[in-house]
Amino acid sequence: MIRARGLTKRFARVVAVDRVDLDIDGPGVVGFLGPNGAGKTTTMRMLTGFLPMTEGEAIVCGHDVFESPLEVKARVGYLPETPPLYPELTVGEYLSFVAEIKGVEPSRRVARVGEVMEQVGLGGWERTLLGALSKGYRQRVGLAQALVADPQLLILDEPTSGLDPAQLVDIRRLILELGRERTVVLSTHVLPEVETLCDRVVLIDHGRVVGSGGVDELAASVGAGSWLEVRLSSAPVDTPSRLAAIDGVTSVTELSPGCFRVEGRGDVAPRVAMCIHGSGASLEALTWHAASLAEVFLALVGAES
Amino acid sequence: MASAWAILKKELRVLFLSPLAWVFLSAFLLLGGFFFTWGVASTGEASLRGVLANLGVVLIFCLPLVTMRQLAEELRAGTLELLLTSPVPLGALILGKWAASCVLCLVLLALTAPYPLVLVLYGDPDRGVLVTSYLGLMLCCGAFSAAGLFASSLSRDQMVAGVGGVLLLLPFWLAGGAVGVVPVWLEPVLMQLSFVEHLRSFAQGVLDTGDITWFVCFTSLFLFLTWRVLESRRWA
Repeated sequence: MIRARGLTKRFARVVAVDRVDLDIDGPGVVGFLGPNGAGKTTTMRMLTGFLPMTEGEAIVCGHDVFESPLEVKARVGYLPETPPLYPELTVGEYLSFVAEIKGVEPSRRVARVGEVMEQVGLGGWERTLLGALSKGYRQRVGLAQALVADPQLLILDEPTSGLDPAQLVDIRRLILELGRERTVVLSTHVLPEVETLCDRVVLIDHGRVVGSGGVDELAASVGAGSWLEVRLSSAPVDTPSRLAAIDGVTSVTELSPGCFRVEGRGDVAPRVAMCIHGSGASLEALTWHAASLAEVFLALVGAES
Repeated sequence: MASAWAILKKELRVLFLSPLAWVFLSAFLLLGGFFFTWGVASTGEASLRGVLANLGVVLIFCLPLVTMRQLAEELRAGTLELLLTSPVPLGALILGKWAASCVLCLVLLALTAPYPLVLVLYGDPDRGVLVTSYLGLMLCCGAFSAAGLFASSLSRDQMVAGVGGVLLLLPFWLAGGAVGVVPVWLEPVLMQLSFVEHLRSFAQGVLDTGDITWFVCFTSLFLFLTWRVLESRRWA
């Protein structure tokens, strides 16, 4: 769906996006994560053809963004950070206009506008002026316009910012639903949102991709925050040094007599179990404490800066 | 072309839903009515010559008020991002917007129909001259709309775009008036730049291809410049 190689954007002397490679395929929700000013919006703008890249190439929905931008634009639904609305128009007028410029067949336009309005929970709001809508409803209209041409790829730039808790739940449920049948790229810096919504994560900082994959994969790759709790019923005195000698283990702390915190890179659990078995100690429990996304985020972003 | 049509319809809807179009039409008709009454009463001549020349000048000050929001507001509100991430070629976007202000001008000129009608009913005007005068004014509207749109592409601020549009058009009106006070070699250049000079043939009932070409070139130039500005904004 998205294949980018060496995507770079320079504004005067500032490098906003620096040699970004992306490979996103199949249905699902992909989280595009990074601190403010990391280059998320600029990357999205390049993928949607709004901004030309300084260097590199991007193939979106099978078409080169630079060579055939109109082909790409016809297949991508995009919700910018601020929903692009005309306050003078009603919800219905606006969505019909977007359907028209996005190339929805005239015969299908009315039905399609009705469908997306139902889908995002705007049923009955057709004749309301956009200027009179609350922030949550503006966001819904923004989502509806991104969906109206039934795109293969949805790019959403912070779609949940400024929503109240009830609206948040609604919009998140909708995004999950949408992700079942199409690719949704979701930019955000709300970490719990990524944990609940996204199958995959692309972490970006200072314009560069600093990590990508599933949340667990990322945690394993950095070893950040995740640790193994080793509980022994009888522990020989040399247990800490034996554990520390295992390949991949980075630190061992004794939490209480017979209970150790083992940190390491990758999956060290099998090797720890083997080592304990070999030492003659009896293992009571081996518990894996996975890192939260926040810890992974801080480890990767912190490492970069 | 389909997207230009969609943009045109949207522009007209937004234009007529805001008070701006109505204020513009009222102001123009008020001034037009005054010039017509005053022109006919003072000369006793069944002609629109004076009225249309004056209305041309009024357009310099009024039309940028209509065009000022066309791109400046899209830039400010971020809606340009919607248009430019939709499969709308930049040319279609510009053409649609330009056509919308031309349509507004057509409505405006249609509303001045009572003036020639009164002349035909109560006098014996040269009908050919009436037709060419209107044609000249329409070409003027097209040219001013293009220049106004260009001014609107330069700023996110509507007021700056509006005042910029007026300032951009003023020299083309004043150029003819400067003849006599500038060096002789400069006079033909200024005469060529002045749209008042190019409107003269229309007011005399003459369709001069040179003058028509001047208006077409003026319009095309500013539409092209608008396109370049929008394109360079993406690359900045």
